[in-house]
Amino acid sequence: MSEAEAHTTDQRPAAAAARACGAQLLQMQVPADAICWHRFFGALQLALIGLLFLTGVLMALAYTPVPGTAYDSVDYFQFSLPFGDVVRGVHHYAWNLLLMVMGLHLLRALIVGAYKSPRQPVWISGVLFLLVMPLFIITGDLLPWDQKGYWSTQVRFSIIASIPVAGDFLVQLFRGGPLTGIVALTRLYVLHILLLPCVLVLLIGLHLYFLGTRGLSEPLTAGAAPRPKVPFLPTIVNRWLAVFIVSAVGLGLVAWQWPAALGDPADPTDSAFIPRPEWWVLFLNQLVAIFKGPFMVIGSAIIPGGLVFLLGALPYLDRSPERHPSKRMGVMVATAVVLAALTALSVIGYVEHFVRPEH
Amino acid sequence: MQKRLKVGILTGALMGFVGLLIFSGSVTGAAKQTLTSVYSKAAPTGLDDPAWGKIKALEVPFDGKEIFAGKKAAVMTKAVHTDDEIYFWFNWKDATLSVTKEAWKFDGQAWSRMKGDEDRISLLFEINRINNYATKGCAVVCHVPAGAPNAKEGKFGTATDAEKGDLWHWKAARSDPAGYADDGYLAKISDTKGGRKGDAGKGGDKQNITEDKTKPKYMLAPGKKLGKNNILLAADAVEISDYSVFKAGDVVTFRMPVAAEGSFGDIKAVSRYADGAWTVILSRKLNTGNDDDVAFDPRKKYNFTMALFDDSKDYDSYDSEALNLEFKK
Repeated sequence: MSEAEAHTTDQRPAAAAARACGAQLLQMQVPADAICWHRFFGALQLALIGLLFLTGVLMALAYTPVPGTAYDSVDYFQFSLPFGDVVRGVHHYAWNLLLMVMGLHLLRALIVGAYKSPRQPVWISGVLFLLVMPLFIITGDLLPWDQKGYWSTQVRFSIIASIPVAGDFLVQLFRGGPLTGIVALTRLYVLHILLLPCVLVLLIGLHLYFLGTRGLSEPLTAGAAPRPKVPFLPTIVNRWLAVFIVSAVGLGLVAWQWPAALGDPADPTDSAFIPRPEWWVLFLNQLVAIFKGPFMVIGSAIIPGGLVFLLGALPYLDRSPERHPSKRMGVMVATAVVLAALTALSVIGYVEHFVRPEH
Repeated sequence: MQKRLKVGILTGALMGFVGLLIFSGSVTGAAKQTLTSVYSKAAPTGLDDPAWGKIKALEVPFDGKEIFAGKKAAVMTKAVHTDDEIYFWFNWKDATLSVTKEAWKFDGQAWSRMKGDEDRISLLFEINRINNYATKGCAVVCHVPAGAPNAKEGKFGTATDAEKGDLWHWKAARSDPAGYADDGYLAKISDTKGGRKGDAGKGGDKQNITEDKTKPKYMLAPGKKLGKNNILLAADAVEISDYSVFKAGDVVTFRMPVAAEGSFGDIKAVSRYADGAWTVILSRKLNTGNDDDVAFDPRKKYNFTMALFDDSKDYDSYDSEALNLEFKK
């Protein structure tokens, strides 16, 4: 190597690795069918997670994880800092939208049989998101220290406590004592902003890694001809950036028009406050309501846990090479029955809690 | 057909997203009464402005305490806000107009103070969050039992320096005739002093009494007229030089309203007593810029409570539960 080359080329290992990674990205080709409307949910999920990270970091700059003061800091952020209401609103709407998109993403993969060999790890890493996202919500809901968050957390703790063997231990782990106070708030805060994001990044990395190594599932209508390819950089990245910008602007406008609600400050002595379940947990709430007392665990852990287990094990339960839905009627019917049951439970829950509330 | 299906699925998904997003924005939980302030470009012109008739009133229930224990009352409540002001409208049944407030009465020989107090309505907002006020209401600022050393200045107060309330106090005899409601605030209570304070500025009332405390010191100045409900305003009073002008049965105001100035006079009031009911409008700038006032931000919700006094002292009142005030765009 000449002296001039040595000046212009960094020989440090990190720089070399970054160059190699950049070169690989530049050379990376992905199937052109990656750009279609029903594959859009994955990109949107990534955009929403990006927005959640960004808005979360901004909110953390003003947040104080102390009961009472936590509420004041959120109130100050939302109403006294410029665009605070928009940032908090985007965070609020982004996770709601993320749940919907995640469900659709999973449903699409299930319908087109994208979980089949050799993509089982892609599917399983995706199903693991289902276990992590509720933890984000459980830990995040308490942070504003408002009535809804506080009492929803209490209800969730009681549901978690009904899990056999590990329930009480898990609640103790989350709460750090007999009451939901400063220790619980600190623990949930650390989980929400530090540990869970690390787990999520790891899962995203795994999901994308498996996607890269195992490949995107072929379109159901694909023939024997080789699939046309497009460069990852800039085609896919540019499209993703467009999705990110549109999501940010769209959710920003929604948040500006309908700011995220901030209820009354939490009052741990006000046991008259009965939180109503949010839309995504209506079915679970009904399950818990159906199985009362010692049978609560059936609704709180056995049925939901069993469903997640079945979902994760699906690639190993449905091993036929057929991917077309019409040739996988068993899976399709089972999916439809589960979806219908979840929808029916959600509708009943909505009617009970919002149309004809007893309280 | 396939394109139609795609458009249908996308439209359905979009509608579902929007519906669920809007649903997700609502705070859920136990019911608490909410007074919604309606936006108006123009300020209401008074009690008879037709704009009030277009707004649905919130009926706020009140529970009596002390001498009113076991009794109920209700106040019909409305609110309107403009770009820089807020107007509260209250209407409640009251069989008697009470504005005596221990007025002087001459029997032809001597002066004595009449029995009777005044009708009042008060509101308490949070300037800085008062712990559990949103759920417990004014019970959390009611610390001192009657008779305690610091009860003289009012038994109300917050528990810490960080907590502060904004007290609006309309008094039929002592503030209304001057056209305002007393603007005070609630700070930390101590062992010797109550937490109830008046805002910066001037206002309140002036006692009309001679140094020997046997008769009134002031009367209506020549060329002046008595105020609403025949109340003598401090600004229209002149020292009595000749008591022989009074005849038996004459009544003279004891607590003369003083024209309010500064932050103390932020809350304007108009009222009418008719057909056995009070109708009162209180108005104020949304943000007065004063530290001793709550600054209303139409994007926020506020907790407040109300109390009614029917010809009664501070301890004898009808109290509301904690309410929400929200602003409609």
